[in-house]
Amino acid sequence: MAEPRLRIDDVSCAFDHGNVIESIDLDVGRGEFVSIVGPSGSGKSTLFNIVSGLIRPTAGRVLLDGQDVTGERGHVGYMLQKDLLLPWRTVVGNIVLGAALRGSVKRADRVRAAELATRYGLGEFLNHYPRALSGGMRQRVAFMRTLALESDLLLLDEPFGALDAQTRLEMQMWLLSVCQDVGATILFITHDVDEAIFLSDRVVVFTGRPGRIAADLPIRTPRPRGLDDLTTPEFIERKREALALLHRHEYTRTEA
Amino acid sequence: MNRNALRTWSANLGLAVLAVALLFGIWNAVILIGNLKPYVLPTPQSAVSQVIDNWHTLQPLTWQTVKETVEGFFIGAIVGFVLAILMSAYKPVQRLIYPVLITSQAVPIVAIAAPLVIIFGFGMLPKLLIVTWIVFFPVAVNVLDGLAHIDADLINLSHVLGATRTREFVHIRLPATLTPLFSGLKIGATYAVTGAVIGEWTASANQGLGTYLLSANSSLNVPAVFGAVMLLTVIGVASFVLVGVAEGLTTPWRRRSTARRRIRLSGDLTSGGGEEPTPLALSSTSGSMKGPQQ
Repeated sequence: MAEPRLRIDDVSCAFDHGNVIESIDLDVGRGEFVSIVGPSGSGKSTLFNIVSGLIRPTAGRVLLDGQDVTGERGHVGYMLQKDLLLPWRTVVGNIVLGAALRGSVKRADRVRAAELATRYGLGEFLNHYPRALSGGMRQRVAFMRTLALESDLLLLDEPFGALDAQTRLEMQMWLLSVCQDVGATILFITHDVDEAIFLSDRVVVFTGRPGRIAADLPIRTPRPRGLDDLTTPEFIERKREALALLHRHEYTRTEA
Repeated sequence: MNRNALRTWSANLGLAVLAVALLFGIWNAVILIGNLKPYVLPTPQSAVSQVIDNWHTLQPLTWQTVKETVEGFFIGAIVGFVLAILMSAYKPVQRLIYPVLITSQAVPIVAIAAPLVIIFGFGMLPKLLIVTWIVFFPVAVNVLDGLAHIDADLINLSHVLGATRTREFVHIRLPATLTPLFSGLKIGATYAVTGAVIGEWTASANQGLGTYLLSANSSLNVPAVFGAVMLLTVIGVASFVLVGVAEGLTTPWRRRSTARRRIRLSGDLTSGGGEEPTPLALSSTSGSMKGPQQ
């Protein structure tokens, strides 16, 4: 088998109050979309901070295409529930932020950003300040900023968590179409089991603290996916399975 | 400026004029009702005409006071801003300096004026020091607050994006200081005149409006006293307005929904404005707005 795009190799991380994640082994293949679901405090975001190099794991390694990048920054794209757009930069200005922070913004960067934004539904808003955009539009800009980095590995931490249900579904379909287009490798955190199954090739279920991998469920629904896929018997079956896993671990946690 | 903006602007100006007229009306009413003699409280009209009649005397004095106010204001603003940046970048510096800053403002400014003259003599220096003393504080406190409230996730994001410390400062921290900076500057601008007058009262070799006011007061020239007060007020209000205008120009994103400088892709993405689409005008990144389409 080819080298996975991302390999999380026996990663553990402890803070003062004990282990947050324990012995996480996870491979993500090139172009794969993998979601992580798990109870609050199961260390999902900690895992993201480790992969992005913001914090060093207590043990284990992070490999990108077989290269050890543990604790190194600047290799992956990263997006949170908060859009973190800079109010003084326009849509294009925000998309090229990565280039601005790494060196200088060249004309080509702006053109590319404008093309990217135009292709994915932000064409009317190129010169708008974030203030003038709706929550969904702002998240699109934040995602474009992540894409513009030219890193094909994207970590998305509950990116649609703050949106209303309808906008959220709209954004999920938008994300599916963009991903199809750009062929990015995506690691996605969510609390929403529906969202995880709808978007992913695999859904990884975490246990409660300390976070461990309880199950790795493949989702075989063919792409491109649409609204109808949300109500197929297969979808419901996957959802039942994932919820049972989540629930079981919630339960044993309270028992202990 | 488009027609809508012009309309809002003229409406605001009209209201401001109305407010002054209202103030003058109340002033006159108080004189009438209280049956006050002109040597106790002159009418605003007589104070204004006193200013107009003596403009050749008052003009250099006004200029002197304006100069003290403006110079002190700029020095104070720079000192306050630099202190805030230093304190935010180096926490031990902050712990060291912050108590000193607070103490400096607890000292009654009128009381410190006299010793300043003893140390620095009669002249421009003690006056500038007093204005600076007043202006730097709101600037430093506001900017420091602004820097402290930058979202930690935003800083994390800039790290993930691979930012160096310098670029992070230029692109994220520095622009974030603009809004709090102007809050501080607006407070400073209105207080700066007070500083200049206090300076003149204690330390004036050069004549200014403050010294003029004192001598008019001692010769019981009441209309002249009120004339000087009016001029000082005008300086204070004008400073505030100018700071407000500067704020509007440097922080367009707070009022506008689109940037003035636009990026366009070969003309097929034009929106509004009606100007000829340039093939690719580079959009502004940090609020500088000199551009052909302005």
